[in-house]
Amino acid sequence: MMLEVEAVSKRFGALAALTRVSFAVAPGQVYSVIGPNGAGKSTLFNVVAGHHTPDTGRVRFDGEDVTGLPPERLNRRGLAKTFQITNVFPEISVEDNVRVAAQSRSPESGRLASLWRRAEVTHLTQPLLEAFGLAGRREALARDLSHGEQRYLEICLALATAPKLLLLDEPTAGMTPGETREATALIRAIALERGLTLLLIEHDMSVVMGISDRVAVLHFGEKIAEGTPEQIRNDPAVIDAYLGGADD
Amino acid sequence: MDYLVAALLPQLLHGLVFGAALGLLALGLTVIFGLLGVMNFAHGELYMLGAYAGIAVIGVTHSFWVALLIAPLLVGVVAAVTEMATLRPLYRREPLYGLILTFGLALVFREGARQIWGGDMRRILPPVTGSTPLLGMTYPNYRLFLLAASSILLLALWLFFTRTRAGIVVRAAVQDAQMLDGLGVNVRRVFTLTFAASGALAALAGLLLAPIFTVYPQMGVEMILLAFIVVILGGMGSMGGSVIAAFVIGVTQSLFSLWMNPQRVAIAIFGIMIVVLVVRPRGFLGREGVLE
Amino acid sequence: MRTVSWRAAVVFALLAALPLVPGMSKYYLLLAFDALLFGAIAMSLDLLMGYTGLVSFGHAAFYGLGAYATATLLERGVSSVWACAGFAIVVVGLYALVVSYFATARRGIYFALLTLIFAEVVYTFFRYTQTFGGSDGIQGLPDATLLPGVALDTPLRKYYLVLVYLAAAYVICRVVVASHFGRVLVAIRENEDRARFLGYNVQRYKMGACLISAILTGLGGGIYPMRSAFATPDLMLWTESGEFIISVMIGGLGTLVGPVVGGVFFTLLRDKVSSFVDWYFIVIGLVLIVIVLFMPRGLLGFRRVLGFSQWRANG
Repeated sequence: MMLEVEAVSKRFGALAALTRVSFAVAPGQVYSVIGPNGAGKSTLFNVVAGHHTPDTGRVRFDGEDVTGLPPERLNRRGLAKTFQITNVFPEISVEDNVRVAAQSRSPESGRLASLWRRAEVTHLTQPLLEAFGLAGRREALARDLSHGEQRYLEICLALATAPKLLLLDEPTAGMTPGETREATALIRAIALERGLTLLLIEHDMSVVMGISDRVAVLHFGEKIAEGTPEQIRNDPAVIDAYLGGADD
Repeated sequence: MDYLVAALLPQLLHGLVFGAALGLLALGLTVIFGLLGVMNFAHGELYMLGAYAGIAVIGVTHSFWVALLIAPLLVGVVAAVTEMATLRPLYRREPLYGLILTFGLALVFREGARQIWGGDMRRILPPVTGSTPLLGMTYPNYRLFLLAASSILLLALWLFFTRTRAGIVVRAAVQDAQMLDGLGVNVRRVFTLTFAASGALAALAGLLLAPIFTVYPQMGVEMILLAFIVVILGGMGSMGGSVIAAFVIGVTQSLFSLWMNPQRVAIAIFGIMIVVLVVRPRGFLGREGVLE
Repeated sequence: MRTVSWRAAVVFALLAALPLVPGMSKYYLLLAFDALLFGAIAMSLDLLMGYTGLVSFGHAAFYGLGAYATATLLERGVSSVWACAGFAIVVVGLYALVVSYFATARRGIYFALLTLIFAEVVYTFFRYTQTFGGSDGIQGLPDATLLPGVALDTPLRKYYLVLVYLAAAYVICRVVVASHFGRVLVAIRENEDRARFLGYNVQRYKMGACLISAILTGLGGGIYPMRSAFATPDLMLWTESGEFIISVMIGGLGTLVGPVVGGVFFTLLRDKVSSFVDWYFIVIGLVLIVIVLFMPRGLLGFRRVLGFSQWRANG
């Protein structure tokens, strides 16, 4: 198992954001987490990515217990995350964005030599830029990109750290239907090509149903259903959660 | 027993009063930081201006009580104008600029005060003189008044922040400034009012403490440094933490002064801050994780 | 050297030739010394402020500590420039290690507050400790010596000393800024969270930036007593820190060269304005406010180096 979440609970004051959530993601799988707003999906991501420490439960990544490790350590072990709100480096160029991401894996990184050496990472950045159609925009400042392009840059940054598991937090948020289709196909293709495992939060059902191998449904911090997209689509508990009572 | 009564007890009471004043400053800093996202380096100067405004008003009206009413209002107006003219344009920029700007403001206010009123120490005579026998010692009446006044002030503030709609909104917004957008309030007006109110409170503290300490242009500098230590100790962004830490520091400072000279006291307080930071980096009531 | 442009080489050549200008009296030479020293310190502060996005309100402490380190040695008869420089680096380095460890533990504002508090404590300590001369500081220091028998006693020699220091500091800053490390600093400035999620231990990088900046500044401070023959607590006042900041702001954040010019400009200005000592601080405050509000790119309009365009320009 690439990722095992075991009975993770997290409270914020009086709010129980997550209650004993468990699931497992096999290597190479595309696993989606869905649920109405406020269901705890982002909190779950933040726990897995090391931003929050769970109150109870454990997180295992690639066989090792990583509960409570900070984000930078998790990233070094091969876990990368994209953010729900685009989170790139605004005032530097697209190419430099990806460069600084890629160079975190270069041999100089973290050593004294990095004070004067420059990392040679063009062989890593170029393919990524091309795959996401950003090669032509390499000199542009990140903040000048369109929304869709920025989402792609977001993913590039995560991929540049050569992860085994990629957490995608609403990757198609704010995209047009056309962009969404494109992005979904692209993500799927790259994941296959690199043997990545994907963990997805998504609101767009077409994306979820289209590329997921398995889906888990959260509601008020609890996992209420899990299965293949087909099984989830027809699960009465899930339908109930989305249609009845669940407010925005 | 005599020592306890004659020396410790008065110092304890001094410490509580000083802690209350510190608390007002630190609270203002925390609220401004939480709401406006700016650490107001000029806050100590607002405290100082309160004392000088008091001197000016007393010069005209010969009444400390009138000054107590008018001076904070005057400083509040100055603060409001300052916020509108200089801080408002910065809210969308990197926080670095706000820091540098308030630093510049502090310089202007401080030296401006020195130009207008001169660098000499001034005195404001306590409006209430004499002393009262209390718990086996005699305690100056003005300080008793201060104890009462600061208690009432803090109680009023507590009521404001817990019982009034405006106060509850501000408290929540300090935790999460984004929420204001969803409430349909005039955010800019809230910011200006908050800044002005914090300034007025700092000024009030300055004027109230003025008869005890002397008045001079640098008087805000020591206070602001202590206020920063208080804010850090209390946990950045925690209003309750600021008040608690203010009293801790105020009393500590007061008690230590019995045994050490002022410089050693300052270094001791600094040492306490370091120890707390090592043992509990988030401060008394700060939130878990990295500062937001 | 790839990182140092020919333009910089020309400037340094011109600066080296400065003493040959007719009319260059001892006074002006020492003024030039002060200007270049200030410029170098502003440049090292820019590494922290402009590139890493951290405002240090206590930089004067690094400066003053370096001065006291040198002064202590000179007072005791150790006059070698190398010994003084080395000692200043060690002393300031240790102090910076402690400060940066605490100051980088949390987000940006924390850094500003803690550097300020630490600096105030250091100032208080030196101001009231008689071993270091109290408020008078350490006075009447002898000249430093380059080699046994070669004393840095004339304004000319002192000028060249500071020029060498500036050149060395400049090269170091340029190399660091263009390096792997330097890119990460910019990334941290732009988006600290993102940098963390890319696997960077952000605190370590911030500490590194602070250390480099502090040591360069401390070295400058270490050179100061070789010109002034004294070291006083006033060197560590927060107003001094403010002057460094204003120099960086005048020149333009994140340009390295801008702050050097800013520091020079400021020193020369201060020299002219010193007769208006009363209004001096008000002017500084107003200038800071005006720059922040209207000219964030710097009074002198140096283009902010966004990203790493120097790298690209050099290959």
